[in-house]
Amino acid sequence: MDPKLTEVSQYFERFKAACVREDIDTSANLLSQLKVLLTSFRSLPPLFEVTPNAVQELTIARDIYEHAVLLSVKMGDQDAFERDFFQLKPYYTDARKRLPRSPQEHMILGLNLLRLLVQNRIAEFHTELELLPAESLEDPCIKHAVELEQSFMEGAYNRVLTAKQTVPNQSYDYFMDLLAKTVRDEIAGCSEKAYDFLSINDARQMLLFSSDNELLKYINEEHPEWEIKDGSVIFQKAKETAPCKEIPSLQLINQTLSYARELERIV
Amino acid sequence: MATAGTEDVEMKELPAPAAAPSNSAVTSSPPSVLQNLKEIASLIESGAYAREVRRIARAIRLTMALRRKLKTSVVSAFLNFVLTPGSEPHARLCSYLPKEDDHEMEVDTASSVVQAPVKHSLPELEIYSHLLVLIFLIDQKRYSEAKACSSASIARLKNVNRRTVDVLASSLYFYYSLSYEHTGDLAEIRGNLLALHQIATLRHDELGQETLLNLLLRNYLHYNLYDQAEKLRSKAPRFEAHSNQQASQYLFYLGKIRTIQLEYTDAKESLHQAARKAPVAALGFRIQCTKWAVIVRLLLGEIPERTVFMQKGMEKALRPYFELTNAVRIGDLELFKSVAEKFSATFSMDRTHNLIVRLRHNVIRTGLRNISISYSRISLADIAKKLRLDTENPVADAESIVSKAIRDGAIDATIDHKNGWMVSKETGDIYSTNEPQMAFNSRIAFCLNMHNEAVRALRFPPNSHKEKESAEKRRERQQQEQELAKHIAEEDDDEF
Repeated sequence: MDPKLTEVSQYFERFKAACVREDIDTSANLLSQLKVLLTSFRSLPPLFEVTPNAVQELTIARDIYEHAVLLSVKMGDQDAFERDFFQLKPYYTDARKRLPRSPQEHMILGLNLLRLLVQNRIAEFHTELELLPAESLEDPCIKHAVELEQSFMEGAYNRVLTAKQTVPNQSYDYFMDLLAKTVRDEIAGCSEKAYDFLSINDARQMLLFSSDNELLKYINEEHPEWEIKDGSVIFQKAKETAPCKEIPSLQLINQTLSYARELERIV
Repeated sequence: MATAGTEDVEMKELPAPAAAPSNSAVTSSPPSVLQNLKEIASLIESGAYAREVRRIARAIRLTMALRRKLKTSVVSAFLNFVLTPGSEPHARLCSYLPKEDDHEMEVDTASSVVQAPVKHSLPELEIYSHLLVLIFLIDQKRYSEAKACSSASIARLKNVNRRTVDVLASSLYFYYSLSYEHTGDLAEIRGNLLALHQIATLRHDELGQETLLNLLLRNYLHYNLYDQAEKLRSKAPRFEAHSNQQASQYLFYLGKIRTIQLEYTDAKESLHQAARKAPVAALGFRIQCTKWAVIVRLLLGEIPERTVFMQKGMEKALRPYFELTNAVRIGDLELFKSVAEKFSATFSMDRTHNLIVRLRHNVIRTGLRNISISYSRISLADIAKKLRLDTENPVADAESIVSKAIRDGAIDATIDHKNGWMVSKETGDIYSTNEPQMAFNSRIAFCLNMHNEAVRALRFPPNSHKEKESAEKRRERQQQEQELAKHIAEEDDDEF
C-alpha cells in the first residue's frame, strides 16, 4: 500500500482510540496532523483526480472527517462542527458514485439538520432538506429532525421535549439540550401573551423546572416584569395594547408624500 | 469588403440554374418550406451586412413558425444551399442528419432559382444552419445526436465574436441545455455554461448573459441545489431584461428559490409577475408558475380564489392543488392528509412535496382561527378533538399550539389554564383601526408600480415583436437595401 496511506491509517487508528477514550486534547492534536497529511492526497476534493488508490483515499478521508464531526459535538464546538461538516459534504454529494455509502451518513446529516434548527437557521434547514432524496427522508435520524422542526413550527413544544427521549443516537444529546433551552424561552414568551396568570405549580411544569426555586430564579433573571403574588405568576397584562388612539403620523406622511411624488410623474 | 471573421469558407459560385428536375420523390416536401428557409437565409445575410440585430431576431422567429414542417430532405437541401458542399462545416452538419434511403447529395436544382449568383458563407449563416439542424434533431427526439451537434456548435461559437451572432447564439445555448436535459446529463455541462457566461459577460453580450444565467439557474434547480443557485444569482450582474421570455423565466426561478428559503412574500410577487409576463402560448410554463404561486399563497395564509384554478387549459393540471386549497381552507387535518397522500405522485413530480409538508402548520392555524371566531369559550380538549390532533397528548399539544398562535397574532384569545379552556376576545371594529389604510396603501402602491413599469417599458427600442414599420423606417430600410445592392454590384465589377 502507498506509504502515505499507511501513515494516515496509523494516525487514524490512534485518533479513533483517543476518541473512544474521551481524550479530547490528544484527539484534537491528532486531527490537525491528519488534516495536514490529507492535503498531500490528490484524489480528494477539490481536485478529485483519478489515482490508483483513489477509492481508499477517499474512504479514509471521509471517515476521518466523520469522526472529526463527532468530536466537535463532544467538544461542544459548533463552529468546528460547521467547518468539518462542510468539508465532509463533497464526499456525500460529488463523490457519491465513487464510494460505497457510509453507514453514518444519515446520522451526520440528521445531526446537521438539528444544528441548523437549534441555531434557528430555518431557511438553510429547508434548503438542506431539499437536497435529500426521497428515500433518505424515511431514515429515522432524518425523520426525527424533520418532525422536530414541524413540532417547533406548530408550537407543540411538549412534543419537542418528549422527542428528547427518542434520540436515535447519543451524539444528539448535546443539541437536544440546547434546543430545550430555546424551547423554554419560547414557552415563556407564549405563556406571557396567552395566559393572564398561572399558578406556580403549573408554571413550573410548563417551563420544566424541577423545583420552585429554579422557577423563581429564572423569572428573576429573564422576566423581571412578571409579578409573583399569592402563589401565582401574573403576567404583565396591564401594558396590553390599549386601542391605539394615536395616528402613526410618520408612516402616513411618508405614504402621502410618495403618492404625491408618483402622481406628479404621470404626465 | 470585409468578412470580418476570416473563416475557412470560400466563395462559392452556384451553377446556373439547372432546370433538371431531380428525382421528385426526394423533394417531396412542399417547395414552400425550402423557399421560406431561403428567404430566412437572405434575411440573415442582409442583417449581418447591415449589422441589424433585429432582422436576425426576426429570422429566428420565422424559423420557429416553420419548425413543424421540417423534414430531413428539406434540411439537407437547405444545408447544401447555404454551405459549400465540400466544406468542413457542411460535412459535419450533414453527418448529424439521419440517413434516409432517398437522401442524396442534392445538386442545387430547384433551389437556386431565387438567389443571386455569388454567395458568401457568413459565420451567421453557418451558426444558423447549426441551429436549424439542432432544432430539427430535437423535434425528432434524437437526443443523443442533438447532444453531439450542440456540443460541436458551442465549440464553433467560441471563435465567433459578433453581435449579430448573439441572438442565434442564445438560441443555441438554450437548445444545447435542452438536449442535455433530455438525456439526463445536465450536470456535465454546468462547467461549460459557466465558462460561456463568463465569455458573454466579457463581450458585453447581454442577451447571452441573460439566457445563460437562466440556463444555469435551471440547471441548479433541476438538481435541487438551491443554495448554489442563490449564490450565483446574487452575484451575477443584473440589467434591464432584453427578452420577455427570459425575464419571465428568471422571475420564476427567483420565485422558486425564495419559496424554499421561506421568504414567501418575495416569492409570491416574483411568481405572479412571472405568470403574467409569460406569453400566452407558454401554457406549461404558466401552469408551473400558477402551481407554485398557489402553494406560496397557502403558506402565507391566504386562500387563492376559485378563479385561479379555472383558467383555460389549466383545470386538470391544477386539480390536485384545488383540492389541497380546499383542505387548507376548511382547516381539516384529516382531509389534508388524505389529499396529500392521494396526489403524492403529482406533488413529487412537481417537486412541491416538501412544501406541502410545511402546509400542515397552516392547516392547523386556519382551523384554530375558525374555532376562535365561532366560539367565545371552548375547552382545550374540544379544540384538540376538532383539530383532529392525532398525538399521544392532544390536550397539552393543543394548549401549546394555541399559545403560540396567540403569540404570533393569528388569533385573539386567552387561555385559562386551571379550567382548561380558551376564551376568545371580541373582534373590534376593523374600520376604526389602521387596517383599511394599509390595504389601500398596498393597492395604490401596486398600481403606481405598474404604471412606472409600463412607462419604463415604453422606452425600449421598438421591439422586434412589432411588425409594422412606420413610413420613415420603410424608407430607411429601402435605402439600405439599395445601398446593399449597389455594394454587391460593385463587388462583381471588381471581380471581373
